[in-house]
Amino acid sequence: MTSSTPGRRWVLARRRKAPSRARRRLGAAVRMLAALALAGGVYTAFAPGAFADDTPVPLSASAQEGKQLFDNSCISCHGENAQGVVGRGPSLIGVGSASVVFQVSTGRMPATRQEAQAEEKKPQFDDTQTKQIAQYIQELGGGPQLPADGNFSDDPTTNPEALSRGGELFRQNCTSCHGNGGAGGALSSGKFAPALHDATPQTIYSAMLTGPQNMPVFGDNQLTPDEKRDIVTYVTTQLQQDKDPGGIFNLGRYGPVTEGLAIFAVGIVVLVFTALWIAGKS
Amino acid sequence: MTTTHDGGNGGSQPPVDLSDPRLSRFDIVKEGLRRDDIEIVTYESQFPGVNSKAEKRVVRNIAILLIISGLAGLAFVVFYIVWPWEFKLGDTKSDYFTPILGVSLAIALFGLGLAILAWAKKLLPHEVLIQHRHDGGATPDEQLLTGQTMVYVAEELGVQRRPLLKGAIAIGLAPLGIAAAAPLIGGLIKNPHKPENGQNPPLFRTGFDPVANNGQLVRLTRDDGTPVRPEDVSTGGQMTVFPGIPGGATNEYADSPTLLIHLRPEDALVAREHADADARNKGSMFGDYVAYSKVCTHAGCPASLYEQQTQRLLCPCHQSQFMVTRNAQPIFGPATRRLPMLPLEVDSEGFFVAKSDFKDTVGPDFWERP
Amino acid sequence: MKRRKVDLAQAPADIARGVDERYQVATPLRAILNKVFPDHWSFLLGEIALFSFIVLLLTGTFLTLFFDPSMKEVVYNGSYTSLRGVPMSAAYESAMNLSFDVRGGLFLRQMHHWAALLFVAAIVVHMARTFFTGAFRKPREANWAIGVTLFLLGFLEGFTGYSLPDDGLSGTGLRIASAIMLSIPVAGTWISAAVFGGEYPGDLIIGRFYIAHVLLIPAILLALIAVHVGLVFKQKHTQWPGPMRTNTNVVGERMFPRYVMKQGGFFMSVFGVIALMAGLFQINPIWLFGPYSAANVSSASQPDWYVMFMDGLLRVMPNWQIYLGPYSIPPLFWPAVVGLGALTTVPMFYPFIEARRHKDKAIHNLLQRPRDNPERTAIGAMAFAFFIWATLMGGNDVIADKFHISLNAMTWSGRIGLLVLPPLAYFVAFRVCLGLQMHDREVLAHGVETGIIRRLPSGQFVEVHQPLGPTDDHGHPIPIEYGGWVVPKKMNRVGALAPAIKGFFFPVETPPEAPVSPGMPPVTGPDDREEITSGH
Repeated sequence: MTSSTPGRRWVLARRRKAPSRARRRLGAAVRMLAALALAGGVYTAFAPGAFADDTPVPLSASAQEGKQLFDNSCISCHGENAQGVVGRGPSLIGVGSASVVFQVSTGRMPATRQEAQAEEKKPQFDDTQTKQIAQYIQELGGGPQLPADGNFSDDPTTNPEALSRGGELFRQNCTSCHGNGGAGGALSSGKFAPALHDATPQTIYSAMLTGPQNMPVFGDNQLTPDEKRDIVTYVTTQLQQDKDPGGIFNLGRYGPVTEGLAIFAVGIVVLVFTALWIAGKS
Repeated sequence: MTTTHDGGNGGSQPPVDLSDPRLSRFDIVKEGLRRDDIEIVTYESQFPGVNSKAEKRVVRNIAILLIISGLAGLAFVVFYIVWPWEFKLGDTKSDYFTPILGVSLAIALFGLGLAILAWAKKLLPHEVLIQHRHDGGATPDEQLLTGQTMVYVAEELGVQRRPLLKGAIAIGLAPLGIAAAAPLIGGLIKNPHKPENGQNPPLFRTGFDPVANNGQLVRLTRDDGTPVRPEDVSTGGQMTVFPGIPGGATNEYADSPTLLIHLRPEDALVAREHADADARNKGSMFGDYVAYSKVCTHAGCPASLYEQQTQRLLCPCHQSQFMVTRNAQPIFGPATRRLPMLPLEVDSEGFFVAKSDFKDTVGPDFWERP
Repeated sequence: MKRRKVDLAQAPADIARGVDERYQVATPLRAILNKVFPDHWSFLLGEIALFSFIVLLLTGTFLTLFFDPSMKEVVYNGSYTSLRGVPMSAAYESAMNLSFDVRGGLFLRQMHHWAALLFVAAIVVHMARTFFTGAFRKPREANWAIGVTLFLLGFLEGFTGYSLPDDGLSGTGLRIASAIMLSIPVAGTWISAAVFGGEYPGDLIIGRFYIAHVLLIPAILLALIAVHVGLVFKQKHTQWPGPMRTNTNVVGERMFPRYVMKQGGFFMSVFGVIALMAGLFQINPIWLFGPYSAANVSSASQPDWYVMFMDGLLRVMPNWQIYLGPYSIPPLFWPAVVGLGALTTVPMFYPFIEARRHKDKAIHNLLQRPRDNPERTAIGAMAFAFFIWATLMGGNDVIADKFHISLNAMTWSGRIGLLVLPPLAYFVAFRVCLGLQMHDREVLAHGVETGIIRRLPSGQFVEVHQPLGPTDDHGHPIPIEYGGWVVPKKMNRVGALAPAIKGFFFPVETPPEAPVSPGMPPVTGPDDREEITSGH
């Protein structure tokens, strides 16, 4: 967490407690001042470097590598210095490295063609290359970043509450599109929310942080990094690793649609054949 | 080769003398069938001889099936007792408890079922019998007798002849019937329009109504009751908020869940333009924030699939789609009415509050909705 | 004291005589033992529903021992880690506990749910059989109406059961149910308030649905099933036309022992299929759905399959609202209230409609093959096309997602399909029936096509037909009257060439030994039996 809001992080840590009204008022004023001061400071420290196009950006070594890769594979749609090309690809200024990690590591980018929604496929870049491009985009325009420690989930054995909290948050924020069982779901006009069966912790985390495509953004103010980790823990532990206790087959966890299919395809079919054997066609 | 051929009315052959000691048991059964108007067309063993090889094979197979059934039943009980069944996370043995029970019970039942079926199909003699149906009611005499008896019973009561009784029955019994039904129906009836504690009836009000909150504006809170600041919702993000009153996030206020959306600046411009052009929604947005009731106007599901690029809001139950930037106007699907907008404001402490309750009735449509 | 000698061998007879002297059972009992039942696979479809119902009663009783139909809020602290500490209703908690803290409880719950799906599925399939074969005709109109009522009751019983666990999915279903009640003109808000005891959801509904689910509806179901089966027994089962079979007799086997054993074996098979499905296929994982919260929903929220046609109709209904001054009728009303009402009542009257159209007052105990009444078959095809398409539309979001079709396109295909497919099904079914009938008649008139081509002395090629019946002096078959029964379409071996290599695909046939019944003289039918007879 480098760029924008150190002041707010301190606020966040205290947010869930309920102080007295007077203290809240006082605290609010102090926090406001602190946040303003810090935000101003941060802005003056970073903004000129981030937004001035005419002055060349001093890129780190890894970002230089990233720029090479970008110029080879991404520039045709996202333009020089990731400024975007009208009608082909959006500007990547300010999307942050988290977004790059999500899009590139899941193979969604580079996209093969323009369509309603870029689909997941085999990634074109390995981990190092992805990180280099991400670093380049980050240094170009800033934006949300993944936690530096690479810690995207909790250990449910040492922290079992993470599961139930994560489950609650998942049902509140995620199931409406991705489904209770993480099977994914349809959105309007051909768009869809993908299934979560093989999403890695990094993918889930970065998706929440950046809101790729039509997914809403769940910034760190809305779902704290801890809450995001809880959700990731729930998805990976409960939805991915836990074997369904109710049978060998979970019918894709699509709910009554596949259950209804099964009762006809298995139940009725088996019993009709049994009846044919018992009574014959005469 | 004996043949019975008695047709329907059972008179073409003389009745058998049942005291005749020469009769076999099968002869007696046949006589019983004959008296029940049933004739035997075919009745023959499926095997070439008594204790034939084929018969022995079938008997052996049935025995095997029964033994399999017994073993599987035993396995069911053993697994039921010894298999670790208590839920554990991950891919553990307990996850196979239900499949093992199902498979072992199914084998036991299929074994028994197949054994019985094989017994009936393969072992019992093959038989074809014909039974007469006796359709079409009794003889006209019988019908006449019963009909006249019924009419006479009615005459005996003489209701027709005694008009006073006829009226008295209606007057005397109808209230009794109504009295029996009254507690059931009356107990269930609840006036949905009756004001509660001097407020609007719950049908027309949500938890954001300041009247219920002692006139104070109601805060927008998360499900854990913490209030929400504008910066808590990311640009292009959405958050489900509840009225900040006791129990506001519970199902007691099932009409209150609201979707607070932080639009991108360019979308917010369009949204504001549309909101301000509308009498009800004018001035309801706060900055780039807009809040719509989450309860679909079609059938009441939470319409919460927010597509942050196309600005559509999809309801997962019946696929109604609402345009977030156009006052949540329905643009596809069965919904006819837009989602009500919650007028937003930020209080002195920087938290979101509702300026007032929703200006439209929240939730699915009904006959007398204003 | 003189001890009487007890003759054990005589005891059963003594007891039987004693029972008969008191209750006069000998004659009716023999009538039951000897009752003749016709045999055909399609007559067993209704039994699937009956046997599933028995499984439902057994497993359901088990579930009631653990279920708590209360909406009081509690905090979960059971075995399932991912919900510990989560507030929920006591109903949901008890459903969780019976799944995870009762040994074998999850298995029984899954059996109950699968049996419920099978129950209604078998009802629908059985109904189709009854309809397409004309088994509903006089004298069985009332039993058909009872059957339709049983479907409606099964529908309600299923929906109340689906709602009981108070999980996320069932709460969503209840929410839609309340919206459907609200949509009823004039009385909607009052009906909803009466059912829910105030505004949705209140805290009464689970208790009310519970008593409806475990007492009221099952009691009516049980009574109607008893009447339904009793009437089949009393009126004797219909049968297909065929050799020896007439409108006034029943050809088949005695109830005891063969028929009852087959039923028993089939019961075990149905029970086994339910157990197998409950073991192999996970159903309704309420632990993933979480407790119901009005703010939460899942994509792919569907009712169980038998309610899906109604949900499908709701999905494809255009947004047509009728405004009457200050009042309005929401579009929800038409598919959900009028649609369900029509789909469950109009079929009840079909037997009378058909009888009146054809001025048919005769008693029909012989079934008709679907092809023999093209109009009825076409109407049935139309109705089922509508039902199936509406059911598919109930899952249109899952179909759209999994087959990468636009959701909006799916909705439009649903709208167009509902209008286009039923008439199309009518037309196609009608033509197919006529075609099949025509082919049957052709075979009856000319014989079976053998595939053998013969060249006549004139040079002409003709296909040899194998006559089904007697031939005239020239060797041409005498046309056989159409009987409404299966016509052989494959040449039999009589008079045809023997297979080139015997015993390659089939074992070499040996003439069977003369059959002998065990311990009793064999009986065979006489030759002068009635031939194929139609129902009229």
